[in-house]
Amino acid sequence: MSSSISFGDFWALFGNAILAALLVAALCGYLGLFVLLRRLAFVSAALGQIAGLGVAFGFFLGSYFGLDPHAPTPVYLDPVVLALVLCGVVSAALGYVSRVERISPESLVALVYLASTALTILLLASPRIVQEAHEVGDLLFGNAVAIRREHFVELIIVALAVLCSHVFLFKDLLFVSFDREMAQAVGLPAAKLELFLHVSIGISVAVATRAIGALPVFGFLVLPAGAALIAADSVRGVLGLSVAGALLAAGGGFYLSFVESRPTGPLMVACAAAYWPLAALYRFARRRR
Amino acid sequence: MEIIRLERAQIGYRKPLLPPIDLSVRSGERLAVLGPNGGGKSTLLKSLIGLVPLLSGRLVFSNGRRPRTGYVPQTHRLDLIYPLTAFQVVLQGRYGRIGLGRFPKSSDRRAAMAQLERVGMAETAGEQFRSLSGGQRQRILLARALCGEPELLVLDEFTSDMDPVASAALLGEVAQLTDRDKVSVVFVTHEISAAALYSTEVAMLDARRGLFAAGRSEDLLTADALSRLYGQRVSLERKGDHTIVFVESERAT
Repeated sequence: MSSSISFGDFWALFGNAILAALLVAALCGYLGLFVLLRRLAFVSAALGQIAGLGVAFGFFLGSYFGLDPHAPTPVYLDPVVLALVLCGVVSAALGYVSRVERISPESLVALVYLASTALTILLLASPRIVQEAHEVGDLLFGNAVAIRREHFVELIIVALAVLCSHVFLFKDLLFVSFDREMAQAVGLPAAKLELFLHVSIGISVAVATRAIGALPVFGFLVLPAGAALIAADSVRGVLGLSVAGALLAAGGGFYLSFVESRPTGPLMVACAAAYWPLAALYRFARRRR
Repeated sequence: MEIIRLERAQIGYRKPLLPPIDLSVRSGERLAVLGPNGGGKSTLLKSLIGLVPLLSGRLVFSNGRRPRTGYVPQTHRLDLIYPLTAFQVVLQGRYGRIGLGRFPKSSDRRAAMAQLERVGMAETAGEQFRSLSGGQRQRILLARALCGEPELLVLDEFTSDMDPVASAALLGEVAQLTDRDKVSVVFVTHEISAAALYSTEVAMLDARRGLFAAGRSEDLLTADALSRLYGQRVSLERKGDHTIVFVESERAT
């Protein structure tokens, strides 16, 4: 991006992308609370790779059916829909399999991360989808500056569905995360609630990754909530700081990208990472008071 | 009146730990579950309240529905990263009554506060659960379990992180708190003297040796039965309501 264009032109060009990044920031800033409390930080990274695999696989399948990747595609071959389904299924499966004896959750996440990355690279090396390789590359490494209208609409639908359902289920989801057995003992459907939480994280990562790239999505899921957990002492405080922090990082990333002509995704992540030392300093100052 | 019963039940995760067992809990009774480490006590407890499905047999609820249950785990099993206040933890005990997707009402908040007062922890309501001592955390978890007005209270080694004096005091309080409302209590413990003092019934098990016995405390808590259970010579001395336990170093035959 160049600072030689006016902000008005910049908004006209990137307005939708900015709004998408802010929506992703709010969604991930909220879900980050569960991601960190349930110790799923690297699950969200693996899901970003799974989203990339889903998109690459969608393009690959489309090439067999002779579809133009830039024209509308049937739903069952839409790369975003495939990414969404794959992320939802893998996220739910990770929640279940990690409780199986002899499988450590870390090694399972590593397996998903490595296998999906390797498969994505292999699919992209296929001569059938050479033209689409850059789209998947953007998805994995971040390109928050361009978003298609249909992806923006998908993002809005998923974000609204997730956030609205969580308004009602928040207390139950937090309870089942904190103490699954007591939640089950008082009669809550613990397994179904966990499945719902994992699927909502999975589909959110899928659409958010498609919109702004895996790197900033991973950053928004982990960094603002992590800093908020250091700085705040209540669930409300952590949620507020996490969502506000992610929104500021998204806005700050775009602003710095505009004035410094640097890539947007990494700048958003850098902004979010800056909260950690700030949160640690705040905590230190509070303890000395 | 019987509230819950295991009938010819095989408990375990994939393989049965014991031959089929029968066990029932009646209203107002206190059942102590005793046995060596790794003997299947927690599995029995979780099977009894449906947290672990039975491999075979039946779990029968006598009045046709699952009794309202309060469960107190060992505190070290809970992740202290959660920024929850003591009050928020206690309020969770109402969530089963409140229902999925519904919000707590002021009556639920009053009930949570009342339970905090009952366990003598009202002044910690606004404090972080994670910043409390082990004993205080156990009291908060007890208040949470009582907050749902349970018919069955299940305590899984809940005093294991506490010193013997605090542990005995808390078990005494549990007995007082539950007597008033005729709440049935099932508790796993390693403390034979606590079991003798506070239980009306006892279940003894050691899955490794296929041992299971259940019955009235005064019938089962004998030196012979305990020596067989722990594979170590145990002798008992009764002083009033209290039982002093001596474990001898030679192995029982």
